[in-house]
Amino acid sequence: MTATLGARPAPGRGRARARHRLTVLGFMAPAIIGFVLFFGYPLVATVVFSFTKYDLINAPEFNGLDNYAYMFKDPLLTKAIANTLWFVVVLTIARTVFALGVASVIARLKSGVGLIRTLCYLPSLAPPVAATLVFFMVLRPNGGPVDNLLGVFGIDSPLWFSDPAWAKPGITAIMLWISGDLMIIILAAILDVPQEQYEAAELDGAGPIRRWWHVTLPTISPVLLFGIVNSVILALQLFTQAVVAGSAGSGAADATGSTKYLGFPDNSTLTFPVYLYTQGFRYFDMGYAAAMATVLFVISFAVTIVLVQRMRKNSTAEEGGPGA
Amino acid sequence: MRKHTRAALLCVAAGMATALTLTACAAGKGGGASSDAAAAPGKDDKLTLTVWSNYSDREYEEVTKALKTFNKKFPNIEIKHEGSQDDDKITAGIRSGNTPDVALSFTTDNIGQFCSSGAFQPLKAYIERDKVDLNQISPAVREYTEYKGNRCAMPMLTDVYAMYYNKDMMSAAGVTAPPKTLDELFEAAKKLTKKAPNGDIEVAGYLPTMGFYANRPTILAPSFGAEWEKDGKSALASSPGFTEMMTFQKKLVDFYGFDALERFRAGLGQEYSADHAFHQGKIAIMMDGEYRTAFLKAQAPQIKFGTAPFPTWKPADYGTAFTTGTIMGIPKGAKNPGAAWELIKHLSFDTDTIVDLSNAIKNVPSTKAAMESPKLEVDEQFKTFIDLAKSDKLKGNPVTPIGDAHIKAVTDFAVSYTSGKVPDLAAGLKEVDKNIDDQIAKSGK
Amino acid sequence: MTATLTKPPVDVTADPEQPARKRDVGGFLNWVATHAIGLALGLMFATPVVFVFLTAVMSDDQAFTADLWPREWHWENFVEVFDKAPLLQYLVNSLTYSLLATAGMLISSIPAAYALAKLQWRGRNLAFLLVIGAMMLPPQVVAVPLYDTWSSLGLTGTLWPLIVPYFLFDAFSIFLLRQFMLTIPQSYVDAARVDGCSEFQALVRIIVPMAKPGIAATALFCFLFTWNDYFGPLLYTGEVKDQWTLSLALATFKGMHIVQWNSSMAVTFLTMIPAVVLFVFAQKSFVKGITFTGVKG
Repeated sequence: MTATLGARPAPGRGRARARHRLTVLGFMAPAIIGFVLFFGYPLVATVVFSFTKYDLINAPEFNGLDNYAYMFKDPLLTKAIANTLWFVVVLTIARTVFALGVASVIARLKSGVGLIRTLCYLPSLAPPVAATLVFFMVLRPNGGPVDNLLGVFGIDSPLWFSDPAWAKPGITAIMLWISGDLMIIILAAILDVPQEQYEAAELDGAGPIRRWWHVTLPTISPVLLFGIVNSVILALQLFTQAVVAGSAGSGAADATGSTKYLGFPDNSTLTFPVYLYTQGFRYFDMGYAAAMATVLFVISFAVTIVLVQRMRKNSTAEEGGPGA
Repeated sequence: MRKHTRAALLCVAAGMATALTLTACAAGKGGGASSDAAAAPGKDDKLTLTVWSNYSDREYEEVTKALKTFNKKFPNIEIKHEGSQDDDKITAGIRSGNTPDVALSFTTDNIGQFCSSGAFQPLKAYIERDKVDLNQISPAVREYTEYKGNRCAMPMLTDVYAMYYNKDMMSAAGVTAPPKTLDELFEAAKKLTKKAPNGDIEVAGYLPTMGFYANRPTILAPSFGAEWEKDGKSALASSPGFTEMMTFQKKLVDFYGFDALERFRAGLGQEYSADHAFHQGKIAIMMDGEYRTAFLKAQAPQIKFGTAPFPTWKPADYGTAFTTGTIMGIPKGAKNPGAAWELIKHLSFDTDTIVDLSNAIKNVPSTKAAMESPKLEVDEQFKTFIDLAKSDKLKGNPVTPIGDAHIKAVTDFAVSYTSGKVPDLAAGLKEVDKNIDDQIAKSGK
Repeated sequence: MTATLTKPPVDVTADPEQPARKRDVGGFLNWVATHAIGLALGLMFATPVVFVFLTAVMSDDQAFTADLWPREWHWENFVEVFDKAPLLQYLVNSLTYSLLATAGMLISSIPAAYALAKLQWRGRNLAFLLVIGAMMLPPQVVAVPLYDTWSSLGLTGTLWPLIVPYFLFDAFSIFLLRQFMLTIPQSYVDAARVDGCSEFQALVRIIVPMAKPGIAATALFCFLFTWNDYFGPLLYTGEVKDQWTLSLALATFKGMHIVQWNSSMAVTFLTMIPAVVLFVFAQKSFVKGITFTGVKG
């Protein structure tokens, strides 16, 4: 990943190399154990389940590629994939840009920083189910605050979680509203940019926008990469907000996020994980759910590799440094 | 090279086998999947029975009280009642051997899975041994507690669905009697609907949107005489009832105008809040369960409402209704199956216990004796539901091994059909049939 | 990502034409504009939380209706929820879970992140990708084999299945910490090595103090994620009420056909208070860490 040169021991110094290896191993040991136990084992189990018929109660029965074959005649799966792709594209871009924007504004504030920072972060402190429900109430057409506000300008409020065309944008709005965590991460990174870099740029006569573009952005790019990858994962795993928005839209919200009708309205909130959950725990077909999980994992892992490689290339090119 | 690949494959296979054995072990743990009845406990046996339910707060207290009446028969059995346990939790518990002795589930959607997978133990041997009279329970309720002849659960209380109507709005609109047929319902809905000059709906006579509130295809099916299956196959397309259900829904939606209706509905309050549209006088007629009578009295005393059987397509069907309810079973791996059965039997058949619980949480009792009991508190509105429950015209949930997949499929279809997206109703229903059959075939049960 | 050791001077295309006077006026307007936007953002973000509070003090009949301003103020709702659920006990459990998990995460993730960010070893890129990959298995599926394992160890009904993993591996935190550490110039680490520091000393003396804002942020997220975690505690401690966390208290206010919205929101609001307090304190440590590294630059 990085072009750090200092730590690589010169060849031939066998003992130093062994010691270096031991150090790395020591630092990574808990992670390696944890990785095997809490990721490796579930991954193997998931892949194994995906070749079986498994009703969650009786021992899985091998059924070859049946689960994978069924994917091709499952109309809801197509819908779920389309919904999740929508979120991966829209939510990832919107969330990263939004968080970066808000963090950049906050970073420039001179007074009241603490208060505004806290206000912006407040929503991400709320339990996800409650946050979604409250947002639902705020967006509620016919008497909600946003509806009233739009009414002042003579605009009809969208029906949000009742309209298949607006349910996903509505959920995206919720996700932006609770993106305070990413905002704070980016803010911390922005404030962490060494002051002398700005001073140097200022001496060269760069205005604030130029400084932001040429100093801030490149320096915080590792954190931005985190933001993008984190948003992609969030989009891929979007579950609670989709379930709660769907249940509230169908008029059956409850305080814990359980629901009678997943995907309301018209399956527009049926994300891949929601459908996976439905198949595994509502229809008791864990084999199929595991096949879905396997496919999701393989595709998203491949996308991540491409994304990470590309980000690395870009940042390397921009900074003019040697590649890894 | 080849050898290497083979070795690698073998390694993977070995890994898979290990993983499978592990899960198989976990799944096979705990005894008691046998079809023999475990012996009842002695009168003074000391043991603890764990009960899981999804009740909370006040309902939890009332159910706990009902469970404790078991101590009159077995004073030394301690009952531990854990609320807020949903079906996912029950499944996880059973799979890993961490099970209660008795599990209560709110939904009848999963009975097919519970019975066919062995998650709930078969009760046949107990019923035969104790010569339990199942005729005490109405046929529809008996149906939703078993799957393919395997009874693995008993009902606790039931919910029955019927029509609610706003009396003041009815008389203001000149509707003199509650509608009994779909045509009458349609006419009443038209008269009761109020539109603003700009076309916005202010009051909907009857809100048809499928999936919203209690408008679920299962709940509506009995009123249309709709049949879910025939010879083990999904039979929506060949059931005139489903065709009529879709046509009727579409006729209503077209009357309101799809967009206007959606705008109106999007502003309605949540089902489980005082903002329910019927409480607020925004809908005049609706389908709902008996529990709504209590909520209306507590939260909207200004609403004068009546209840009646829901109008039917065919006059001969009038008096039919959908029923569902809480079910109880002995999970596989339960530590005290014998005692668990005694508790289930007690809750299923002890008239005083059922009546007290029914009075406390306003559900319909599940036995005929309890429904006849003079101690049962029945007011004018609640009586409709008791009368429906006493009749043999009740219909239960269509039991499948695929949870509520079939219900979701029909709901989804109804939404797209009423929005005008489906040109050919019959072909559309056939496609839904195929999807349901595929899903069932996939489950292999 | 970064090539910090050999990083050339930042490429800023200078614009010498810009007169200084114009910049001062622009600076003031800029100040006003930024603060106006900041304030608007703050208000926008706060609004829904205000509704949590307003719903919490409504009567049961008004809560969750279109009527958003309390007709009567039922302050007693905040007291009554303590009668309905043993919230103090839940608070203790929540603190146990969140604090232990956060502590465990710091112990396990800081060294791993350092190894991934600042040490050179074969397989490091692969290891990093695997860390990211570990976040991509849907938790709903992962829960199935893991629950069975914990159950066979007899640890269901306790919070340990939720806490123990943090002492070993938390992909999110490792990833985040690594990215923060990458923003620290490699030259600092190299300087430490030249001074004869071992890698461990370099980590403790140089990286940890410099990455303080990042560490504080990661710890905060870990704490808040576990604080608001609902499905984890429900799955593992659902049947043992003594072990419930505050987030599960919401389940107390939902019945078969009823939800007590005012109580739900009162508990939500109460649950948020410790988190807000923590955030207000944690944000000071961001600032401190920031000035520390900033001055040193």
